[in-house]
Amino acid sequence: MTKPSVPVGIICSQSGPYQAMGREILKSAMMAVDEINNQAEFDFSIAAHIRDPRGIISEYHTVCDDLIRNVGVEHIIGCYTSASRKQVLPIVERTDRLLWYPARYEGFECSDNVIYVGASPNHNVLPLVRYALDNLSREIFCVGSNYVWTWETNRVTRELVSASEGHILAERLLELGESAVGHIVDEIIRRKPPIVFNTLVGSSSYDFIRAFRAAAEAANLDIPMLSCSLCEPELAIVGPASAGCITSSAYFESIQLSENRSFVARWKARYGDDSSPSVDGQSAYVAVYLLARALQRAGTTDIGEVRRAAAGYRYNSPQGPVWIDGSNNHCVLTPRLAVSNARGQFDIFWEADAPVKPDPYLTQLDVAASPFRETSRGGTSPNAPHLRVVK
Amino acid sequence: MSKLSSFSLRGRKALVAIKDERDASIVRRQFERLGIDSTAWAPGQAIDFAPDVTLIDDELLPLEAPMQRRFVGRCPIIALLGTETPSRLKLVFDLDPASFLVKPLRSAGIYAAVVMAFERSERTNDLKQQILKLEQRLRSRRIVLAAVLQVMHSHALAEPAAFALIRRAAMEQRKTIEELSAEIAAKGIPPRATG
Repeated sequence: MTKPSVPVGIICSQSGPYQAMGREILKSAMMAVDEINNQAEFDFSIAAHIRDPRGIISEYHTVCDDLIRNVGVEHIIGCYTSASRKQVLPIVERTDRLLWYPARYEGFECSDNVIYVGASPNHNVLPLVRYALDNLSREIFCVGSNYVWTWETNRVTRELVSASEGHILAERLLELGESAVGHIVDEIIRRKPPIVFNTLVGSSSYDFIRAFRAAAEAANLDIPMLSCSLCEPELAIVGPASAGCITSSAYFESIQLSENRSFVARWKARYGDDSSPSVDGQSAYVAVYLLARALQRAGTTDIGEVRRAAAGYRYNSPQGPVWIDGSNNHCVLTPRLAVSNARGQFDIFWEADAPVKPDPYLTQLDVAASPFRETSRGGTSPNAPHLRVVK
Repeated sequence: MSKLSSFSLRGRKALVAIKDERDASIVRRQFERLGIDSTAWAPGQAIDFAPDVTLIDDELLPLEAPMQRRFVGRCPIIALLGTETPSRLKLVFDLDPASFLVKPLRSAGIYAAVVMAFERSERTNDLKQQILKLEQRLRSRRIVLAAVLQVMHSHALAEPAAFALIRRAAMEQRKTIEELSAEIAAKGIPPRATG
């Protein structure tokens, strides 16, 4: 007997400045859809309706409207940048649909019509900046893409740095997709900051990393670089210059959990041995599973019922146990820090002891506190040697 | 001691007067997310705490009884607007709101309205303090002028030199120019001309 089919919209850009991440999101989401459609556990199948806004912001509104009006989807997975999510938000709220948003983002939003599956700011920015302040330096040079993700990340960074009596040496912004990075690289080499915090996204980030590493090597400088977004497929795009970047993320391919080993094996069987899943892709995979299990538990596609069924339901995902905090629709997950290596992978050196509640409005932010004093694994402390690998 | 982020609202106390239960539940839930303690209030009820911020529905206006108006001016007010008609806005202006939200409410906008209310209130208070200080200085100008005239006569000095003498003497005696001028004007004692 054929299972009933649930139409689900998938919105991710397959071209434009962050096409690489859009492709990763689509690949992971489709892997989850195919797995679910072949599992007896689910008494329905998912019919994925894929839309490509091509990285054009206004297109997100158009394709979302099409999915709701013409296909009749109640659930949509996708969007990558906050700017794209903000385009979709008014339509999903007006028509009472549910957007399952996989990317980590800057927080300060809490719509009843969005399930925020990616990391909240307390999961990614806080551990990274605190680590840098405790172990590297209190002076940071920031370079990022000129949009809300960088603005808010820089604002939080500035608060933490100020509380530590440090300094933001500079905040340099580039338009999304901008490749003229030379003037910023020149300034960094001239000023020799102790840390560079890179919040550029997509091709701008790849261009910057290559140019920065080449210039630093020529000048015989070893300047650590921080990132909240770099992932394995991007390491492959950037090439050897990507090694040595200190990165904050809830997911790395190198996580030593049986769920992840199995996920990575299935991924490589599907997409090739030389490919790697990414944090946002894995998050899209998690989003599809969270949605499918909530649909199964709710027994309906009604978004109120599905939202209630999703809240608090624990899923042992590749990144470890995750669940949706019903009080704010954000995901409870485990923050991690790692450094990229020459093999295009990340060596994890810190992770929280347990999954951490999302704090999208940073209401629990205590700018003077350090997570390494409270939730470190294996005794990492402000005075301990940094970059200790978690076994 | 731990320091809270300036944008963190955790631990603030809010008085919430909203007529519609749907709007009230959206505020309650969003305040819970933001760490704000909220207390529902209906005009006429006694208030046994000092709120940090008050949300008031325009449908509850005007507040006429003195007890209802007790909190006005004591903490920032966020007005909830159901209609933009000038007659309704006029009632809202009476509360001197620091910020506003438009009904029907959604979670988006509440955080910004509260942060803006606190910021606006702080800036307004700073301005009031500044105005108060300037008014005091303006009042004391008459006394300073009287003292300058007295010194001009007693020391046969021009006005700039007389003022400079008073200022130097005030600095030496660790007094404000206004305080020393008041002494000169009251007692007729000219300042010691040192240096």
